[in-house]
Amino acid sequence: MKEPGTFGWSNPLVRWSVLGLVALSIVSMLVGFLWLPSVQGDYAAQGLWASICRAAGVPGDWSRGAKARQAPTATNVVLERSMANEGANDAIGRGATLALNCTMCHGAQGMSLSNAPNLAGQYPEVVIKQLRDYQSGKRSSAIMQALTAKLSDRDISDLAAYYAYLPKARTAPTTYDESLPVLVRVGAPLRNVAPCVSCHGGIDQKLGAPWIEGMPKDYIVQQLKAFRSGTRRNDGEAQMRNVARSMTDAEIADVASFYARKAP
Amino acid sequence: MFQAKRLVLAHFWVAFIAFFGALVLGAWQMYVRSPLSTWVQNPEHYYRSVTAHGTVMAYVLPTLVAMGFGYAITELALKKPLIGVKWAWAGFWLVIGGTLMAAATMALGKASVLYTFYPPMLASPFYYFGVVLVVVGSWIWVALMSINLRAWKKEHPGESVPLAMYGNVAGAYLWAWTSLGAAIEVLVLILPASLGLTDTINAGLARVFFSWTLHAIVYFWLMPTYIVFYTIVPRAIGGRLYSDTMGRVAFALFLVFSMPIGIHHLFADPQVGAGFKFVHAVMTAMVSIPTFLTVFTIVASAEIAARLRGGTGAFGWVKALPWSNPWMLALTFSFIMLGFGGAGGLINMSYQLNETIHNTQWVTGHFHLIFAGAIVIMYFMAAYELWPQLTGCAPISPRLIKAQAWLWFIGMMVLTLPWHLVGLLGMPRRMAYYDYSNPELAPQAWTVTMSAIGGFILLASGALLIYTLATASRRRAPAVEPFTFSRAAHPGGRTPVALNGLGLWVAMMIALTLVNYGYPIAQLASLKEASVPVIPIGSR
Repeated sequence: MKEPGTFGWSNPLVRWSVLGLVALSIVSMLVGFLWLPSVQGDYAAQGLWASICRAAGVPGDWSRGAKARQAPTATNVVLERSMANEGANDAIGRGATLALNCTMCHGAQGMSLSNAPNLAGQYPEVVIKQLRDYQSGKRSSAIMQALTAKLSDRDISDLAAYYAYLPKARTAPTTYDESLPVLVRVGAPLRNVAPCVSCHGGIDQKLGAPWIEGMPKDYIVQQLKAFRSGTRRNDGEAQMRNVARSMTDAEIADVASFYARKAP
Repeated sequence: MFQAKRLVLAHFWVAFIAFFGALVLGAWQMYVRSPLSTWVQNPEHYYRSVTAHGTVMAYVLPTLVAMGFGYAITELALKKPLIGVKWAWAGFWLVIGGTLMAAATMALGKASVLYTFYPPMLASPFYYFGVVLVVVGSWIWVALMSINLRAWKKEHPGESVPLAMYGNVAGAYLWAWTSLGAAIEVLVLILPASLGLTDTINAGLARVFFSWTLHAIVYFWLMPTYIVFYTIVPRAIGGRLYSDTMGRVAFALFLVFSMPIGIHHLFADPQVGAGFKFVHAVMTAMVSIPTFLTVFTIVASAEIAARLRGGTGAFGWVKALPWSNPWMLALTFSFIMLGFGGAGGLINMSYQLNETIHNTQWVTGHFHLIFAGAIVIMYFMAAYELWPQLTGCAPISPRLIKAQAWLWFIGMMVLTLPWHLVGLLGMPRRMAYYDYSNPELAPQAWTVTMSAIGGFILLASGALLIYTLATASRRRAPAVEPFTFSRAAHPGGRTPVALNGLGLWVAMMIALTLVNYGYPIAQLASLKEASVPVIPIGSR
């Protein structure tokens, strides 16, 4: 007698394998989609169909009916990769003209002689974000809020293009060894302090994180303290507030001196 | 063997040389994060190393071993020359090209995204192209295995497919289907973003696609080892295979159940529904069945060997086993590591228990025990067994084999048991450094030192492997004995038709994948809000 083929239903091995698999699938689905959700209060609250949908992973509208309270947002700026693009020549030129307004504090070539931040070589998305935050009041400064109030979006992106075009301020060459402050190099894992170099250049340069090499020491100290106390709060995910929160005055001074030191 | 000798040898050599390089990196990683060394100065170097270690160990080594071993089995089991040798070489060179391309990108620090890719992190496109080439090269192997089996069946109508070839082709089909998930992820989601065509990526969907590959790839790694268990071990220890049919059932069940279970890697992922997580957990539990079947069958085969050597009694036969035989030693080590690793795996796959150890060192310990332990030790044994066939050397010195196996076993246990312990205590995995000066971490520092020592023992074992294989051909054999596979205890038994082909099981594998993955994929793909901005690595 010829044995029925691989897909023959009369072949008992085939029959039982298929039936067994179907039964296993159905039973596990019944348990996973009906039984287990039924004993969980938050799954079962809106009825059977809703609980099946939740178990299947359909996104639910949790706050239907009730008005969700709007949490305070740190910034209205959504960082997009396109903001980091190099500016066209005319944008840079126009930005250079506009930047004449900024020279009093930020220096003729974007290198500050006072304790205002250097802007030379700053990443364009950083300048865009900070100017927009001043405009919206998410970052406060009596001077900057007044100066940015009338800037158009084009003004802002041209200014960013101009400053990005200038050569960056540099400090003395750095090697990754024990001479770097600990917080710069490896952070403090158990205090949830990420190393500076993982966002501000060195290991990685994250979108929206400023170039801080060569910044005036007083400016860095002032900003870290502002993040620590929460008076500055325009970091989108509270990343700098979380880092600065557990830093001591000595650590802030240490990190700031490192980034501010001048090339010999 | 007929004409695949150089081909198989090339696969094994490249696999083991890459393996040794990755072993050096692994030992370095354990050393720099142990208290024996100061903190790594640039953590990016650590992640670069982890990426290279994972990419070689997960993609390059097992793929080349499975391919090379598969070509060898085709000639040895079917007793005819391999069809498509030129294509096989083309596949080999694709794998080499892909490996070099990925390696150069990783070395430049443009791809420190770990071998699991982790979107929205993005590496240079050349890294992904490299991985794709490796996979495409292996697809040629899949096709050749299928073609060779078909040709043999045509010439031998009604005969039973040799068990080794059955398992080999099952492994090939499993790989073809399972590699599809990561292939779709890379081609449809990652590469467009990596090439700069889009600046957002559906990270949740990408993770679901990767989970499609991520778990079943483990069974692709496992297949050569199971083929060795069933078709070489019983003969090598002087016994008979207890049941040929049981081997076929195990391969068929792996095909069905290893594939649609990957969501148990995503238990902590919010984008997948709890119902699907439960169903995948159930199916994962089903994989223990072919595993237990195999352990039972191989232990029964060992018992046959012991009784043939005069062993008696319910347990007394254990003493009569050929303990001085390196195969007996390696099998025992493999089963011990499979036992510990498997028990840990049951915790990983349990929806609730997983919470305790998710993303801790426990997980690293688990997959090192199973893959680098139970599985890879059999890769070594397969190479030792094939070497005389490939190079015409005399059989490899049992003393060297035993020394290497002992070192590998001890090293792997010393490496992984501390990982399991600290994983339970909550030590996260993938950390470039730990702050041992903190009083809460200080008591755990010794475990990392232990693991580093284990890493160095493994490195020594790897060096011994390379030395043994490289110097084997100094001792020529006057005549190489023909290769044989193990014989069944009851040879000539009728093989059920469903277990002589793979059609039914492949159909069930695909159907179950559609049931278990269809909805989560369709739902995530249709969610517009699911895309997040990409984070290119090393772009500035």
